[in-house]
Amino acid sequence: MATEIKAKLTFPGGVHPPEYKEITEDCAIEVMPAPRQLAVLLGQHIGAICKPMVARRDKVRAGQVVGDSDAFVSAPLHSPVSGTVKEIALQSHPVLGRAPAVLIETDIQAEAGKQPCPDRFNKDFDERQYSCEKICESARRGGLAGMGGAGFPTRVKIEPNPRLPKHLLIINGCECEPFITCDYRLMLEWTWQVLAGIRLAARAAQIEQIKIGIEDNKPRAIHAMQQAVDQSGQRGRIEVVPVRTKYPQGGERQLIRSLLGKNVPSGGIPPMIGLCVLNVATCAALAEAVVCDAPLTHRVVTVTGNAIVRPGNYYVPIGAAVADLIDFCGGLTERAAKVVLGGPMMGFAIADLSTPITKTSGALTFLSQEMITRAKYDRRVTPCIRCGRCLTVCPENLNPTKIAHAVKKNRLDLADQYYMSACIECGCCSYICPANIELTGYIKTGKILQARTKKKMPE
Amino acid sequence: MLSKITVSPAPHISKAYSTRGIMLDVIIALSPAVAASVIYFRHHAAIIIAACVLVCVVTEWLCNVIRKKPNSLDDCSAIVTGLILALSLPPAIPVWTAVIGSVFSIAIGKMVFGGLGSNIFNPAMAGRLFLTASFGTLMTTWTVPATIDPGMPVISATETQAVTQATPLAWSKEAIKGKAEVQTVNRQLTASFLGNTGGCLGETSTIALLLGGLYLLLKRTITFHIPAAVLLSAFVCASIGFLLKSEAYISPLLHLTAGGMLLCAFFIATDPVTAPLSRKGKWIFGAGVGAVTMLIRMVGEYPEGVMFAVFLMNAATPLIDRFCKLKPAGGVPHG
Repeated sequence: MATEIKAKLTFPGGVHPPEYKEITEDCAIEVMPAPRQLAVLLGQHIGAICKPMVARRDKVRAGQVVGDSDAFVSAPLHSPVSGTVKEIALQSHPVLGRAPAVLIETDIQAEAGKQPCPDRFNKDFDERQYSCEKICESARRGGLAGMGGAGFPTRVKIEPNPRLPKHLLIINGCECEPFITCDYRLMLEWTWQVLAGIRLAARAAQIEQIKIGIEDNKPRAIHAMQQAVDQSGQRGRIEVVPVRTKYPQGGERQLIRSLLGKNVPSGGIPPMIGLCVLNVATCAALAEAVVCDAPLTHRVVTVTGNAIVRPGNYYVPIGAAVADLIDFCGGLTERAAKVVLGGPMMGFAIADLSTPITKTSGALTFLSQEMITRAKYDRRVTPCIRCGRCLTVCPENLNPTKIAHAVKKNRLDLADQYYMSACIECGCCSYICPANIELTGYIKTGKILQARTKKKMPE
Repeated sequence: MLSKITVSPAPHISKAYSTRGIMLDVIIALSPAVAASVIYFRHHAAIIIAACVLVCVVTEWLCNVIRKKPNSLDDCSAIVTGLILALSLPPAIPVWTAVIGSVFSIAIGKMVFGGLGSNIFNPAMAGRLFLTASFGTLMTTWTVPATIDPGMPVISATETQAVTQATPLAWSKEAIKGKAEVQTVNRQLTASFLGNTGGCLGETSTIALLLGGLYLLLKRTITFHIPAAVLLSAFVCASIGFLLKSEAYISPLLHLTAGGMLLCAFFIATDPVTAPLSRKGKWIFGAGVGAVTMLIRMVGEYPEGVMFAVFLMNAATPLIDRFCKLKPAGGVPHG
């Protein structure tokens, strides 16, 4: 057992929600067999929505492209299984409501589903056998997108851009959301694969220096990564940096602030200050895509919460319905009150259990009534008493109550004066609010309304 | 089973701390001051505090009934208003006066603005200001604490023999006018610290208020900004006077312990509804309260200025908020 680590590096603001990591942190990654039917959503992340590349009744092989787009910021989609395309239909989407998806019926007779391949990596891995172009091409072909949440296509991130040269690669292993442990298990179990991915990403992006930020509540992961770095002789180049456990430490802007004390411009992206930030799960997927030529069709999902019979970390085909995962995990308990795709701070509550897992779904959290505190469950909202707690916890130094109340009164101009667009929607303000006001909800609504008035988004 | 599943915007967990919790914390923090007032002013204190709290609660309930609004009593803010108003009244005040003050505090000070969270001025201070304007003599009639004289006689404003029977601030005014020795007034520091002196019900005992303030700070119900700003700025202002002319102005420490300074610093100025949102704003607000209080105490006509200072700075709060608008950590976004 690794000794306790106390990190000093942190960012101003943030909250300390109860962690609940103990539910799944000791559950080894387990492969979930492919369900009877999968729904691969055509829009899974930031960027253009894919066009379907298959038609109804087509036979598809595991790993075959089923959706693609010509846009620069996009990533193709692959079938996780061999089977038949049942149809291309609207499916529940955690963010967009309903979105087109390719429904694939699994061929039960076909070979057993894809297995993870962490054994193919060890300390003697050498990224220099792969050219920069080959890595970028594999990232694009493999349909890689950031697996931490936002899902920015990885190729766009790692490809060198002469206008925005990058000098430091930051690997995000914070996993600051309560409950979630998938990245933690990846760092513990697939350490060599994660490290290989990190080295490949650095090679593709032509970056010499690498920092891996991990929250200090994961001493075993810090230890494992440090050991791997030492054994592979990368010590001078890769630095494992423990950071303080605080939500949202894993937000890339916050992690950069903690590690370097620098601010990414509001509404900007890390390359603007010469940085590239990747999630550990994305690195693992990159290693798989480059070395094994395997597209991103499966990911590790933490199924957790106190309202599920068998919580754990599962290797799940992308497109599996939430209902299939619930069945595989022994069903819901009587106390289930909320099903959240993602963690409890930023995840999306879903009502339709046929919603499929996407590339960005790191967790599936089943909350009981007790866990969602009483007032929150009853939506007992009292007037804002201007206590200013939301200002104190806002990691972006905004004024959440002013923005939210401006949106509530339909004063988007006022909301803009309080810099609504700089909000990262981390949820700290809603979490801390003693009046139980859904501040983050209002701000998100305001941003959507604003985008509509600027004709950036359809009604 | 499915029918029980709910959806809502993220986050799906929240800190188990409500407005009611904040108010209950304030009530707990006020309890040492309540206890001290009962020790020093016996039944006077008990009756006035009970009357104020009761009338505040009933008034809020009535206002909600008249406005056909849902009951808002369970946030306990009416109790806090009643307590603070009672603690800032003189011991000898007739109960009917306290009742009028309580009705004004809640009905005009809070409910006409739309209830908790919408009021511009601190409701308790609005009530007290109304009483001061309407019943000036009653509001400046002080009583000898029961611990000094169990008969609790009224202190005459003109009698100047028994120093221990006056309020420290009244004496400070006398000293400024040259009618009293500054040294004798300064000797009241210990009495003022314990509360064994004349003054408003809950304002006399420094130690009880400090205990309550400490509790609020430790529970993080309030942040240190406003109390620190109020006390610092008052201390600085009082020190300037003291250093310039120590034969006329009493010791800054006595200014901090006497009158409503501590009740204001920890319980009145920190009322979140009427104070600025940002830390910078809180510093400015607190500094303003401290400075205006000291101006009134040292230059103005009234011996005590806390109430006016809080009222004035409450009015300035929207302006302070506008000037202290937070800038995003990543700089102002474009477009």
